Amino acid sequence: MAFRELVLEHSHAMFRLAWRLCGDENAADDIVQEAFIKAWRKIGDFRMQSGFRSWLHRITVNTAMDYLRKQARVKQHETAAPELECLAAGSSHPKHDVQIDVQEQTRAAMMNLSDTERAALMLRHFEGHSIKEIAQILDLSSSACKQAVFRAVKKMRIELAPLVTT
Amino acid sequence: MKHITDDDLTLLYYGEHENPELAAEVARSPELSRRFEALSSELLRMDELMPPVRADNYGSDVWRGIESKLISADLPAASPWKSWLSTMLQPRFSLAGAASLVLVASLAFMLGRQASQPIELTPAGSDTQTAAAYPGLDTERLLTASVSGHLEQLNLVLTQFAIQPQTSSTEAERATDMLVANRLYRKAAEDQGKHQLARFLAELEPLLIELAYEAHKASPETLNRMQQEVRDSLLFRVRVMNQQLKQPQIST
Repeated sequence: MAFRELVLEHSHAMFRLAWRLCGDENAADDIVQEAFIKAWRKIGDFRMQSGFRSWLHRITVNTAMDYLRKQARVKQHETAAPELECLAAGSSHPKHDVQIDVQEQTRAAMMNLSDTERAALMLRHFEGHSIKEIAQILDLSSSACKQAVFRAVKKMRIELAPLVTT
Repeated sequence: MKHITDDDLTLLYYGEHENPELAAEVARSPELSRRFEALSSELLRMDELMPPVRADNYGSDVWRGIESKLISADLPAASPWKSWLSTMLQPRFSLAGAASLVLVASLAFMLGRQASQPIELTPAGSDTQTAAAYPGLDTERLLTASVSGHLEQLNLVLTQFAIQPQTSSTEAERATDMLVANRLYRKAAEDQGKHQLARFLAELEPLLIELAYEAHKASPETLNRMQQEVRDSLLFRVRVMNQQLKQPQIST
């Protein structure tokens, strides 16, 4: 299969993953492109037994992590983004707001996870990777990966439980 | 009975708990069932998080965005890429090419494919014959290493051609050498039963023939078409095949 066909086949899924990891539409577009360029450069590192999809996910996650780290450095020199502050604050008292946007609430909760927790949970919940696969993608031990998923689930449940009862 | 934690229920939810009896245990216990249902309901909320929609042709947009960057991504930053010919004539390449030709000749000899012995008359699957003639020689590994080197050179040539398809008779001569090497490797691969590799090398031949005999007199349109073919398909496939060759467990 030609590289172009792989780009056509995997772009949508990579965008969804990138967006869930970084929470920013434009950044997700950039991450997808950058991830494919990295994939092209690193094709020599690809091991057939790991599966092309997992390999692409690993590159996408790493690219998204790099983006998030850069963003974090930028934000150290700026005030926190008003949008996220608002969302994060809102997430503490969802019952008092009848206009709650569940999607935004969920997104804010996800963005409050650490990068590793978010990546582990996204790969498990939305992409269907096993803990073992996620450990390989994130370059973690299986135990550390499992703990990251557990922490992420606990934090998400705290945020999402009020939404279930409303 | 071991206490069932929320972490256990999380693993059960994702189908990853090691205890196959846990699901039945949860089903039997009203308390565990309630806890599992709560966890499921909360995690299901995450599914409402819908990513922004991208158009059906999003993949094409991504490809257009990266296509020109893929080729330049291969280039060392400081190289003065005047033409693909100039680099082919660099000592690094020439030495590699010479070494490759020696390997091709050696391989042909060892596999009983010398010029004095017509290739067509040699029975396929002559591994045992070769092994018997050269005890202790791993001809399969030699073939793999040789073809891998050949593909690395080809990758370089195609990369440069994709950037700047200027051609001359000297370049054509070089392409002819690569074509000859490619055919010898294909034959050796066939003889060793490496049919996937042989088919792949056969698929490279039409382009090598064009580079050898047509490119130096081709129209800009033809060169563009060849460039496109190299960018869209061949370069990637050469890389993937080379990678497969470096993984001994993959059958080629």
